[in-house]
Amino acid sequence: MDVPWLSLLLAVSLVGAFATFFTGRYARWAALAVSLATLGIVLGIMALFQPSLQLNGNACQQGGFQLCELHTWFTFASPSGGFSVDYLVGVDGISLPMILLSAVITLAAVVYHWDEEKDPHGFFGLVLLTNAGCLGVFVSLDVLLFFVFWEIVLIPMFFLIGHWGGPRRSYAALKFFVYTHVASVVMFVALLAMVFLGGWNSFDFVDTFGRQSTNMANLSAPVQALLFGSLLFGFGVKLPMVPFHTWLPDAHVEAPTGGSVLLAGILLKLGGYGLIRLASPLLPLGRTLLFPVMLFLALLSIVWGAYLSLSQRDLKRLVAYSSINHMGIVLLAIALWTQLGVMAAVLLMFAHGLVSGLLFMVSGSVHHTYGTRDIPSVGGMTARTPVLATMLMIGSLASLGLPALVSFPAEFSALLATWSDPRVHYLVLLPLMALVVTAGFYIWMMQRLSFGPPRGIPDKAHDLPFPEVMGMSLLVGLIVLYGILPLLIEQVIPVAAIFGIPCGAGTVPGATVWGACPSLPFGP
Amino acid sequence: MQVPVAAYLPEALALAAALLTFLMDAAGVRQRVVVGSFSVVLYVLALISVLGDLSVAPFSIFATVPKGLIDTGAVGPIQFSSFGLLWQAIFLSASLLVAFASLSEGEGEREVPIFYGLLALATLGTLLVGLSADLIFLLLSVEVTGISTYVLVAYARKDARALEASMKFYLIGALSTAISFFGASLIYGAYGSTALSHLRDLPPSATVGGTQMALVGLGLLTVGLGFKVTAVPFHMWAVDVYDGAPDHVSAYLAAGSKKMGLLAVLVVFAASVSIFREGSAWALYVAFSGLAVVTMTVGNVLALQQRTMKRMLAYSSISQAGYMLIGLAVATPASLAGTTIQAVAHVLMKGGAFLFVAAMASIGVGNRIDDYRGLGHTHPATTASFAILLLSLAGIPLTLGFVGKFYIFASAVQAQGLFIFLAIAGLLNSAVSVFYYARVLRIMYMVEPQTSSQGRWTPAVAHLADPGAGSTPPSAGSSKGANLGRFRAEIQALGLARWSAIVACAALTIILGIYPTPLIDLANNAAAHFLATGP
Repeated sequence: MDVPWLSLLLAVSLVGAFATFFTGRYARWAALAVSLATLGIVLGIMALFQPSLQLNGNACQQGGFQLCELHTWFTFASPSGGFSVDYLVGVDGISLPMILLSAVITLAAVVYHWDEEKDPHGFFGLVLLTNAGCLGVFVSLDVLLFFVFWEIVLIPMFFLIGHWGGPRRSYAALKFFVYTHVASVVMFVALLAMVFLGGWNSFDFVDTFGRQSTNMANLSAPVQALLFGSLLFGFGVKLPMVPFHTWLPDAHVEAPTGGSVLLAGILLKLGGYGLIRLASPLLPLGRTLLFPVMLFLALLSIVWGAYLSLSQRDLKRLVAYSSINHMGIVLLAIALWTQLGVMAAVLLMFAHGLVSGLLFMVSGSVHHTYGTRDIPSVGGMTARTPVLATMLMIGSLASLGLPALVSFPAEFSALLATWSDPRVHYLVLLPLMALVVTAGFYIWMMQRLSFGPPRGIPDKAHDLPFPEVMGMSLLVGLIVLYGILPLLIEQVIPVAAIFGIPCGAGTVPGATVWGACPSLPFGP
Repeated sequence: MQVPVAAYLPEALALAAALLTFLMDAAGVRQRVVVGSFSVVLYVLALISVLGDLSVAPFSIFATVPKGLIDTGAVGPIQFSSFGLLWQAIFLSASLLVAFASLSEGEGEREVPIFYGLLALATLGTLLVGLSADLIFLLLSVEVTGISTYVLVAYARKDARALEASMKFYLIGALSTAISFFGASLIYGAYGSTALSHLRDLPPSATVGGTQMALVGLGLLTVGLGFKVTAVPFHMWAVDVYDGAPDHVSAYLAAGSKKMGLLAVLVVFAASVSIFREGSAWALYVAFSGLAVVTMTVGNVLALQQRTMKRMLAYSSISQAGYMLIGLAVATPASLAGTTIQAVAHVLMKGGAFLFVAAMASIGVGNRIDDYRGLGHTHPATTASFAILLLSLAGIPLTLGFVGKFYIFASAVQAQGLFIFLAIAGLLNSAVSVFYYARVLRIMYMVEPQTSSQGRWTPAVAHLADPGAGSTPPSAGSSKGANLGRFRAEIQALGLARWSAIVACAALTIILGIYPTPLIDLANNAAAHFLATGP
């Protein structure tokens, strides 16, 4: 009998999250157990995942997904008979790296917060619930199920920011909640319109891939552009995409460290994932029509994010703004919609999740070691807290794209995809220059914080406690591992259930999947 | 086909609850436990009977209406339709909820039997609305509930605000009744009959009195019933009345009697809307779309500005009526099913929310939203329930409020054409509404409780904040024993009945939100029959 792996994953993470609320002072052990179990199941799923596309069996598998499960949730009344809303889940090469990221980041956050003192049962429960919601988004193949999980993520994050956050936490929590909810409502209208105007016969979007051309041909280019624009707004707020990014710095600065780690590590990826999974393949005419808009917003995010980071004094704010810069590159890579671009986007999301998670942990530790995150008022960290300074350095170097660390192959692929696309070509200079700025503000920040004579260091400042080292080390290990062997992820991504996607510079390993295109720099 | 007397069992039970309660009063039996439990038991029996008629699995052996009578057209002024029966179940749940939770209210002199008696009479009226197939019968049934609720609002005779609210309610109610009946008389003139089947089958242009007379009549009827549904611009009375009425009466007004107005509108118009849409008389159908948009928008915008909890809930209740009116304007099986699901959700959400307000008022928490600060730490179970109900009102997934809204909005998109704008307006509104619901969550969970020096916290609350353990502050009291102690203290302070009613509302909202299939099947079936055979 087949084990329902994905349901098992969702069940363990959801039930575990709710159970953790009631474990009192054993909460951290419960949270550790749940997050380890989740990670274990994810690794199991990775082991079962077939590294090439298996197009047989039911509609879901013919759509290119694996480990599919289908149950009818309820029926929507319709003049022409039932219209089912399903519990339909499955994974492909795009969602697999995302669920791995989600499980890893959650485990790291739990370990990092091992000594949490303020209502630990609530804290760990909410962290696990956020993870469960994100996992749900990444495996859902039904529009409504996708939206349900999408919205579930908001609630625990709202409470995480609002109860465990900094001084302006309740303002930030409210802003986060309202802002992202408005975006998801716009997204929801567009999704419903897609289902009904496109003449789907259920809310599932998998079998629509196979018949995408016939179904979506009902929709004229302007309608598709309207729908695509709405989805771009809905997903772009989460991403975040300039000019809809203003919730992010507030949410990040006020959130507790674990909250920031989840926010940057997983939640931002939901936006990019939605664009890849739903908006771009299902609305090809709209995507083509809005390509200039997407390109402009992506470049704007890249430049504006880098520029804003340069002027920050607050370490956490700096990392937050640099996220806007990095996610701008993700948006750029998605906008190109070539095989190389999509692969780069997924890889970069994976890399950014690990790296920004580490950097937010570092800024959290800086804050409670030195009592401030103000960069100019602290200096010479290397002398007093060498471990923390090392972590800061690894995170910063990874983030600015040093080779042999995970961001490098991702950013390189993204830039290569941009360069090799005749529509953009020389525009690659913009992100390249932004990369120089990125390197600049990271190195300048390290120089001020880590080196030079000790400054503004309280007497009782001590180096990192053990749990925080462990949490960070987990991420550092993966940053190095996937930096040296990006192939581990790269060979999975092309097993993606997206068809008819152009070559771009070249396709990625597993040429049976995306067609024979010239090979790739980091391919086998 | 002859209607057996047993078919009227739910109505008979409601009538018995009313009359016997008044007799108990005369006989001097006024203990809340006795009088209240009596009502609760009768409501439960009535509910079982109605569910039996609907063939809901475990109860179908209690069916009293012969199968051949359901959904087969009118028998004189009444008709048994699965749609009407489903709404009867909704009304009974609302009455049951309020009657049960009120068991935790204090004792009064004569108030207790008066309250339960009037509640039973109001319930009777709502049940009769579910049976009506004739305009006059319908309006008279609405009036039975109307008059009972006017008095119900004022049953606490010594409360000046309640008396004022009752007076306002009565005057507006009388006005709306007059308008409704005037409309009904014009309709009678135009159609030559008051049977609702005529409205359904005959386009206004084909009536004896011609299009104009019929349309004026229907327009007046819309206005008259619009007052009951609290559709904007006929909503002015609602907030003052909800605010002034005793809290558990507000719960009934929002959960029970308002749904009755909605069913009355549906019964009169939903089936006939299709005729209007095709005929020359599209004005009425545009009017419903406009009414829906204006109602939810005004309700939401005004709710945003409220500083007191009950007024905020009252305005949000108006906006919820707007969402339900979308279902009426679209008038497809899916949209009417959506309205029905949303009505069930609304009973749980608004009923539970007002009961929570009642519970908090009973332990001395003020009426302003700011007074609710920190309740999440002192009253964990009920506050969490209230939070779930608010999230459901906001339409967050895995709650029944989401399922209902999804159904309504999806049906509007499915109907295509200009209806898509109704869905967009609705969704934008629900996005706005998140702001004021989240603000309450923020106050309850993210702002520290007020200190006793402010004088708003009674000793009962102060005692709750520090359960058993003595010196343990609530934020650190995370161990299991302290949690249990806190729940026990909470139940003690709020009363077991009220506590469990609030928690049950939240639990049902979640359970039906995750597994809505049985409810959706019932609603789909009822709505399809309703549009096919009509009232």
